[in-house]
Amino acid sequence: MGGGIVRVTADDDGRTRLGTLRQSGATKLVFPRQTAKDIEAILINTAGGVTGGDRFELDATVQTGAELSITTQAAERAYRAQSDEVGRITTRLCVERRARLNWLPQEMILFEGSALTRTLDIELASDAELLMVEPVVFGRAAMGETLHDITFRDRITINREGKPLYLDAVHICGDAASLMARSALAKGCSAMASVVLVCPDAATRLAKIRSLLPPTAGASLLAEDTLVVRHLAQDSFLLRRDLVPTLEAMSNRPLPTSWRL
Amino acid sequence: MNTEILTLSQWLSPAYPIGAFAYSHGLEAAISAGWIKDAADLQDWLSDILVHGSGRNDCILLRAAHAGDVPVGDVNSMGLAFAASAERQRETLRQGAAFVKTTAHLWNMDDAPLIYPVAVGAAAGRLGIDPTLACAMFLQATLSNLVQAAQRLMALGQTQGQAIVKDLTPACQKMAQDTHAATLDNMASCAFLSDIAAMRHETQTPRIFQT
Repeated sequence: MGGGIVRVTADDDGRTRLGTLRQSGATKLVFPRQTAKDIEAILINTAGGVTGGDRFELDATVQTGAELSITTQAAERAYRAQSDEVGRITTRLCVERRARLNWLPQEMILFEGSALTRTLDIELASDAELLMVEPVVFGRAAMGETLHDITFRDRITINREGKPLYLDAVHICGDAASLMARSALAKGCSAMASVVLVCPDAATRLAKIRSLLPPTAGASLLAEDTLVVRHLAQDSFLLRRDLVPTLEAMSNRPLPTSWRL
Repeated sequence: MNTEILTLSQWLSPAYPIGAFAYSHGLEAAISAGWIKDAADLQDWLSDILVHGSGRNDCILLRAAHAGDVPVGDVNSMGLAFAASAERQRETLRQGAAFVKTTAHLWNMDDAPLIYPVAVGAAAGRLGIDPTLACAMFLQATLSNLVQAAQRLMALGQTQGQAIVKDLTPACQKMAQDTHAATLDNMASCAFLSDIAAMRHETQTPRIFQT
């Protein structure tokens, strides 16, 4: 179990300051460094993973003109759940006028027998900026972990001024290895990431980002200021290796140290 | 004689002027990448789209527009936000707009443009056509159109193509029935490589299809 509420504000000089911070249970937020302008937060799950029946909630608000990056200390792990129990991770992020959020968690690694329902809801103001990545590993191939019995329900909603801008939902229930082996799903790849960039110069970054992608990834513009990437890789190492340059090309600041290889 | 079937058969026929022949839903890129090499590969790929990808979501959108519990504009914007790429948006927007234009004129309905499955669902709801039948025929028409697209892109005989439509028709019926109680919150897709093919098609040259 764990919960966190974080709110950052911009002061009169445009410098981001921590406003509210509340944390409970296994959720901890640490702020390793503060550059001239923005804040980086590292989310820690001191329980070391998620199992059936767990509840983790995070609410983050980036107030007008502020800039926040959130990453995780380690890859999150969803472990085997008791039958009839489902772990829930609920994340609500709010980015106000002229504010920017970089949501850069490390991988979610799913283990055999895991049962996880995850929702990520992001509310953007009209001119808010966002960089979001969500990498998921369906069993660590290099460790010989194959998933034949999991329940994974994942939903990402990005609204702008209350209207849907990006919706993505993935349900992988049952024999994940057989599903991911299917041709239009993943052709045997076991790692997947979704990336979304919302910023005024998104369109001008498209060609560069395409040039960085392997053949099992694609990029597209859902709007002039909204760029999406869907990325598949054989395993979590290759996913990260290929994601880092893509994220660097989308980011307005260096990636958190946890993302360096 | 069942009028519903005849109306749906008109709306979903390749002759209905929505330009379905111009869209390959990423097949052109998937074939070019070598992800689909023969009839068996094509059948697997199309089955995945039906069961794990846009086929299932299209049924849910069609049903939601048909039921009318959620304002059709909201169903439409959710469906559009679910489109995985610019070309996915384009194919559903353009076919939907063309469907509404013809259907609104002939059946005296609202002519506000909608994405394709929402447009078909709203029109079917207006005429009281069974939504499960509409879903099954919508999926079969989509399938048939994609098989025709593949025939322009790879070595695939007429009989082989029709065998795929025949073999996957039960899956169309099952998906139409299985989405009976589904709501917009149940939309989901894991046809990741199909989405990636649609994205990669944007830079493919030369190309025959718009998507």
